[in-house]
Amino acid sequence: MHRFKIRIISTVAILLALFLQSSALQAQDAAKLFKANCASCHKPTDQKLIGPGLKGIRSRWPEEAKLISWIKNSTAFLATGDAYANKLFEEYGKSVMPAQNLADADIVAIIDWADKGGDAPVATTADAASTETNATGAETSSDTYAIILLGVGIILLVLVSVLGSVKTSLESLVNERKGIVVEPKPVRTPVENFKLWASGNKKLVAIIGLILIIWVGKQGWDGLMGIGVYQGYAPEQPIKFSHKIHAGENQVACVYCHSGVEKSKHANIPSANVCMNCHMYIQEGPTYGKEEIGKIYAALDYNPETRTYGKNQKPIQWIRVHSLPDHAYFNHSQHVAVGKIECTECHGPIDSMEVVQQYSPLTMGWCIDCHRKTEVDYKDNKYYEELHKKFVNDPSYKKGDKFTIGSIGGLECSKCHY
Amino acid sequence: MSNTKKYWKGIEELQETPEFLNQKQNEFAEELPVDKFLGDDKLVNTNTNRRDFLKVLGFSVTAASLAACETPVRKAIPYLNKPEEITPGVANYYASSYWDGQDFASVVVKTREARPIKIDGNELCSITNGGSTARVQASVLSLYDSNRLRKPQMNGKEAEWSAVDKEVKSKLEAIAQRGGNIRIFTSTIISPSIKAAVAEFTIAYPTTQVVTYDAVSLKAIADAHLASHGKAMIPTYQFDKADFVLGIGCDFLTNWLSPVEYARQYASKRKLSKDKKEMSRHVQIESLLSLTGSNADKRVALKPSQLGLAAISIYNKLTGSSISTAATDKDNAIAEVAKELASYKGKALVVCGINDPAIQQVVNAINTYLGAYGNTINTDVIDYTRQGNDAAVANLVSEMNAGSVDALIIHGTNPVYSLANGDAFKTALSKVDLSISLSDVADETASACKIIAPNSHFLESWSDANPRTGHYTLGQPVINPLGSTREALASLLNWAGNTTNAHDYIAKYWEVMLYATSAEIAGFSTFWNKTLNAGLLVKSTEIVTNSVPTVTPAPSSTPVVSDIKPVADLSAAGSSIVSSAKSAKGIEVVIYEKTGLGWGAQANNPWLQELPDPVTKVTWDNYVLMNPDEMREKGFNVLMGQEQLSDTVDVTIGTKKLSLPAVAQPGLPKGVVAIAVGYGRTAAGKTANGIGANAFSLVGTSGGYYQFNVSGASISGSTGKYNIAATQTHHTMMGRQIVKETTLEEYKKDSKAGNEDLLLATNLKNIGKDGKAKPQELDLWQNFEYKNHFWNMAIDLNSCIGCGSCVVSCTAENNVPVVGKDEVRRSREMHWMRIDRYFTSSMNEEVAEKEGVGAIDKFLKMEVPSTDDSLEVVFQPVMCQHCNQAPCETVCPVLATTHSLEGLNQMTYNRCIGTRYCANNCPYKVRRFNWFRYNENEAFDFNMYDDMGKMVLNPDVTVRSRGVMEKCSMCVQRIQAGKLSAKKKSERPADGSIKTACQQACPTNAITFGDFNDQNSAVRKAWNDERKYQLLEEVGTQPSVYYLTKVRNKPATTKA
Repeated sequence: MHRFKIRIISTVAILLALFLQSSALQAQDAAKLFKANCASCHKPTDQKLIGPGLKGIRSRWPEEAKLISWIKNSTAFLATGDAYANKLFEEYGKSVMPAQNLADADIVAIIDWADKGGDAPVATTADAASTETNATGAETSSDTYAIILLGVGIILLVLVSVLGSVKTSLESLVNERKGIVVEPKPVRTPVENFKLWASGNKKLVAIIGLILIIWVGKQGWDGLMGIGVYQGYAPEQPIKFSHKIHAGENQVACVYCHSGVEKSKHANIPSANVCMNCHMYIQEGPTYGKEEIGKIYAALDYNPETRTYGKNQKPIQWIRVHSLPDHAYFNHSQHVAVGKIECTECHGPIDSMEVVQQYSPLTMGWCIDCHRKTEVDYKDNKYYEELHKKFVNDPSYKKGDKFTIGSIGGLECSKCHY
Repeated sequence: MSNTKKYWKGIEELQETPEFLNQKQNEFAEELPVDKFLGDDKLVNTNTNRRDFLKVLGFSVTAASLAACETPVRKAIPYLNKPEEITPGVANYYASSYWDGQDFASVVVKTREARPIKIDGNELCSITNGGSTARVQASVLSLYDSNRLRKPQMNGKEAEWSAVDKEVKSKLEAIAQRGGNIRIFTSTIISPSIKAAVAEFTIAYPTTQVVTYDAVSLKAIADAHLASHGKAMIPTYQFDKADFVLGIGCDFLTNWLSPVEYARQYASKRKLSKDKKEMSRHVQIESLLSLTGSNADKRVALKPSQLGLAAISIYNKLTGSSISTAATDKDNAIAEVAKELASYKGKALVVCGINDPAIQQVVNAINTYLGAYGNTINTDVIDYTRQGNDAAVANLVSEMNAGSVDALIIHGTNPVYSLANGDAFKTALSKVDLSISLSDVADETASACKIIAPNSHFLESWSDANPRTGHYTLGQPVINPLGSTREALASLLNWAGNTTNAHDYIAKYWEVMLYATSAEIAGFSTFWNKTLNAGLLVKSTEIVTNSVPTVTPAPSSTPVVSDIKPVADLSAAGSSIVSSAKSAKGIEVVIYEKTGLGWGAQANNPWLQELPDPVTKVTWDNYVLMNPDEMREKGFNVLMGQEQLSDTVDVTIGTKKLSLPAVAQPGLPKGVVAIAVGYGRTAAGKTANGIGANAFSLVGTSGGYYQFNVSGASISGSTGKYNIAATQTHHTMMGRQIVKETTLEEYKKDSKAGNEDLLLATNLKNIGKDGKAKPQELDLWQNFEYKNHFWNMAIDLNSCIGCGSCVVSCTAENNVPVVGKDEVRRSREMHWMRIDRYFTSSMNEEVAEKEGVGAIDKFLKMEVPSTDDSLEVVFQPVMCQHCNQAPCETVCPVLATTHSLEGLNQMTYNRCIGTRYCANNCPYKVRRFNWFRYNENEAFDFNMYDDMGKMVLNPDVTVRSRGVMEKCSMCVQRIQAGKLSAKKKSERPADGSIKTACQQACPTNAITFGDFNDQNSAVRKAWNDERKYQLLEEVGTQPSVYYLTKVRNKPATTKA
């Protein structure tokens, strides 16, 4: 009964989330812009981050034009001597808001969206809640099932053996009554018994044997194929950094920290000075308080009171989660900057991971699969456009042939091995 | 029937003796010496039986492999404060300057995560123009030489800089106060800042004098110009303006003044195309078959003592003067050269590498007569790279011996090793109160000094250079010093009481001296940043005076004249040449620099040691080169190979004796031997120590000039046998058209000359004429169309000079392991590309037919290179040919080598199981098998095994493991990177934007690489060139690499 309730609740939650998301679709551009440009310092609610929360921002500023010019270049605007701006500047510890290179229309869109308090946070909370309940629900059910089944199984086994012994003792009692002398059965070892039984049930033994062989073979094969595949690997990190808080709740864009992803083969683990862009101001986290953020300070030998750096700096030794073998070459920028693939396609729902885990198997088969299926977006890239023309004009081209990565050499060895 | 037969083991079995029956029961006739091979009583008496052992073994192996399945914990450690310019995974490039005391190059250094991994020439620099030598390429590995000092040393013990500075300063002050002599003994300084620092040092310690020393001196050129032009200078030469080049004992393509520049100019004058069917003519008169001589159109081999006589004869013939001379062995050939030269007035250039002012004066007179000055020789731009004063060095040694030198600072040179009387120098050094070396390794000289103040490697230093008039370059550090080292500049300044660091000092110097006179850029910091970014600054006029206080040179025997009156002084020069030629007796010795190792500054660099000498193809050794006929007469082995041991011989001049193996060198006259310097090191480091013998000890002195051609030697008979490691042991083409060749005369008539279509006879009726067909037409396979790119490479054999710069570049780019001498001897060298060198033989099909030589005799004789002046040499770089119908691909059982849609022959190491079928099936023998895990095997204690040396590895290329095949990938990592950058810019890769490592290093632009499908690409043009041919075309492999026929500028009649 209880399980049933959980299910209903979670279904409702999912539906609700879907509904909210669909209504949020219209504001998606603004949300995206917000995420890329503002989210590292502002929240769309009334909560403070580094800067003020943006909910109700319109009512706080006297004129929208002023707000826009402030956003575009806060230092220049401060110089005009605007009272509200200067008050704001003092209030937030004289930290300068960097100039934003955005079109007016974009700024207005962001303000429109944020003024209402955004929509993502609501969705995210519901989303997160639903996934959580879902997860716990699923776990409870499967665990209880197993335990109950096991219990019933044990009880049944005990019952069978008890009944068996009752039967034999009853039989011997009856025989004694009747005076029948039963010849004592020849004493056999269990092995001999099994052999006797097996010789009588050859077909059954053969079938069971076959099933056993297949099962063992399958397990062995899976085991061997799994060597070196660390899907789900989620090591404990020296700092309990939560992507759920940063990328999920605070909507910090992935590229903000992993700045190499469009330029380099590596996405880059951000250096501690990137952390300090925000954590200069945010000195306490929602989950672990000052403890985990304090570790960044310790690494940089930073004193948050005096805001000074010492000399005793020690690098943070993160545990590497995604690790390709040395003979495989992988380039993030090819996939992200050229292929326009979203981070989540390979890294999964990072924004809901408290501890990052390897979402994809990262096996060669997985790479190849994607290269086979994915069609190249040739339209806005002159490199591919020419190639696509040749592809289509080829006499062997049949209608319906797909211009996939594989069809232009994306399955070749020396694309990744050299 | 057969079953009934019975054989007895012996009579015992037949008789069935009791002993036999007893023995029969035992499997082993004698008791097994179990305790011997177990070697331990405990093991013999142990209760563990074989089964238990196997059980435990099996269990532990399984347990271990299961345990290994756990995720290995790998750390990822980001920067705490990432420098703005670094993006992990993206290379940064910095312009810098290379200077080793002899060679200059403006370079661009590639760094990954602040770790320099590759050096190439700076394309903005008019001297190198993007090219580089093998030594420049290899210098990045010298940075990671684990033998370099980590700390200063005092009296053989490590010390702190503060202690060293205190000690040096107090001693110098004391010496200066009592008026003691202080000497700075240095290799040529081309850095204006160091010169300024030396001047500052001299002001602080006024008794200081500077002695400049070049191990391989060219002082005679400067002094001859003093005599003939009134100014001691080494002019710059313009081979790109010379239609006729005459080299007299001068290896200008590899080891003379500015090899990259001169090689490029020389090759540019010899490039041919549809629109340019003229090339320069190059005649070389020399003794040793140098790399330059190998490239000559005509070569006259003379004994070294007669080279000067040849110069006089040419002068006499040209001008009609009659300076006394003596007969040479080849007067007729020399007269012919003179006759030719006469018709090239104003377009000819004569260069001479002999350090004898008399000969140089005659050469100057020839050049003056030919009108070379102002046309092919530029006296406005003066070369500053050789400023050594041989006489001053001798003077210094006697001063030191007399005990009158109180302090000696040695910079950039190693006189104990490179002076002929190095031992005497060492003894003299012990008499010096304060001896300081600025060397970065404790080499032969430094280890004899009381203090070593280690200089930083040039990649760790701020530096500047002024290699010639108006040409200034900057050098910047690309990595923090790996040890506690300091720029020599900073050390000198510090001791002079100026604590400015090198950067500030150089910047200040440039601000005052160079920026002040450059009106074109506003603001010094802009000027500085722009110059640093480009690496160089070219000024039309000389601004800085190269004033360094020097020791007055010992009186020179050559007279000083102020204006150009060469004829008047030549008779004296002539008689000096004749008398020294007449005094030559016994066997003459040519002491030369190898193309790779040079004078040995980088001897401890395994890349250079393993680079085969371009002409002999021998690695890891120096040796006595001898004429093969002479060797046969003396009963020495002239052959090379795994089973062919060379004979060691003793070369004796007076009291000096070198014991080295004798190696045959066609083209060397009889009665002459040649030995390379740079070997015989005792304190260079683990790689170089103990290899070969030191030929510097044989260098003579005449009139105060070092002589690298000496006479009066005697050669012993064979004193033993020695293993030589050569990468090529067969020297001729055996009449096959591996390198196609023609003459300019024929080429002008027919651009397909020497490259006639190869037609194979078939019995097919429908093909060609009479069933004869091109190999491409006879094909089992279907043709394949490359839709995207089709990567091709063209190699112009007319431009390739064989210098080997590409081989080292490839090694650096592709993490090619060094295997060492013993493995090279087994033909297991790992170089992805090689340069084949072929000699011509005096026997060929035509000669055989004319003289009626039998088939066997013919082929035997064809194996032997000719030993007279008809000898010609060709070079051919060979790497994987990326065959479009590759024989290797079809035989791989596991599909580890396959063909890509872009025409590359791909090698997938992780798939390879090492059957080596592919290598067996490759007609070009370019595949290399990894016999060992070179990076983890202590037997290969070279750079890859070394913790420091590993830092040079290119992170974009796999380090191959044992048991796999590897080969040229056409730098696929560069292709992929180039494509990616084009995709990001939304365009097709531009022709020339992707360069292979070999192409980039080539000083003569002999290698062209690009996309064949790009109609306007350079490689497509090369394909359409009528000189184009494919190697072993008849095999039908249809390679993506093709060659352009070599053309020699000589009359058609002398075609070999």
